[in-house]
Amino acid sequence: MSERRLRGAGIFAAACLCGVAAGLFGVGGGVLLVPLLGLLFAFSQHRAQGTSLVALIPPTSLLAFLSYAKAGYVSWRTGLLLVPGIFIGGILGGVLAKHFEPRRMRQVFAGMMFALGAWQAVSAWWR
Amino acid sequence: MMILAIVLLGLGVGVLVGLLGIGGGVVLVPAMVYLLGMDQHLAQGTSLLILLPPLGLGALIAYWKRGQVDLVAGILCALGMLIGGYFGSRIAIPLSSQNLKGFFGAFLMLVAILLWRKTMEDRRTASPQDGNKSDV
Repeated sequence: MSERRLRGAGIFAAACLCGVAAGLFGVGGGVLLVPLLGLLFAFSQHRAQGTSLVALIPPTSLLAFLSYAKAGYVSWRTGLLLVPGIFIGGILGGVLAKHFEPRRMRQVFAGMMFALGAWQAVSAWWR
Repeated sequence: MMILAIVLLGLGVGVLVGLLGIGGGVVLVPAMVYLLGMDQHLAQGTSLLILLPPLGLGALIAYWKRGQVDLVAGILCALGMLIGGYFGSRIAIPLSSQNLKGFFGAFLMLVAILLWRKTMEDRRTASPQDGNKSDV
């Protein structure tokens, strides 16, 4: 197999793994795909982010979504009500980001997320 | 009142996504669980519903113009994630809500570590104008 093919197969395998996490946790998967492309395939941070966006344009979560929907685990009303806010908020956030230094905010957010995750895991398993 | 709360929650999540360049689902799922009192499975399924439309299109165009997109790799990733996503959902659905919540917590910690690492890289590459609009 040529090196190019091998690299393609590797990227596909890594993406499958990200997909499993995405379907398992109900998230987009870009959050894992970007660091994996960088760490395993030497993509620059920007190129990894740009490439991950390609992967998120088609509805890659469709199959996962359908199995949740079939099991009755989708609240259409809440979902549809959330969309306009996220859309407008996303634009607002993008504008705000130009005025702030986002690195510090990301660090604060990462800290909060870590604490929330730890609390959630502990409250689920050590009660 | 509940409707207003949901719309405002969406606005808040959107601001965070645009501001920090992080995935919507990672914020949405805990927000729905803790602020709207939804079950873990229901929150994850609803998050997947919201992620169906191509929310990252605007950001993709910006990256494309700067030549920072590997199209072939992107398409391979899309295929991989489509297939992987199906198997992930098959794992999640039979789990108890409690276990799923625990695993999600562990996943959040991993995401937090990755986000922290990224802020370190940003400092090294130090490009002030970009690096915030990113992975959805």
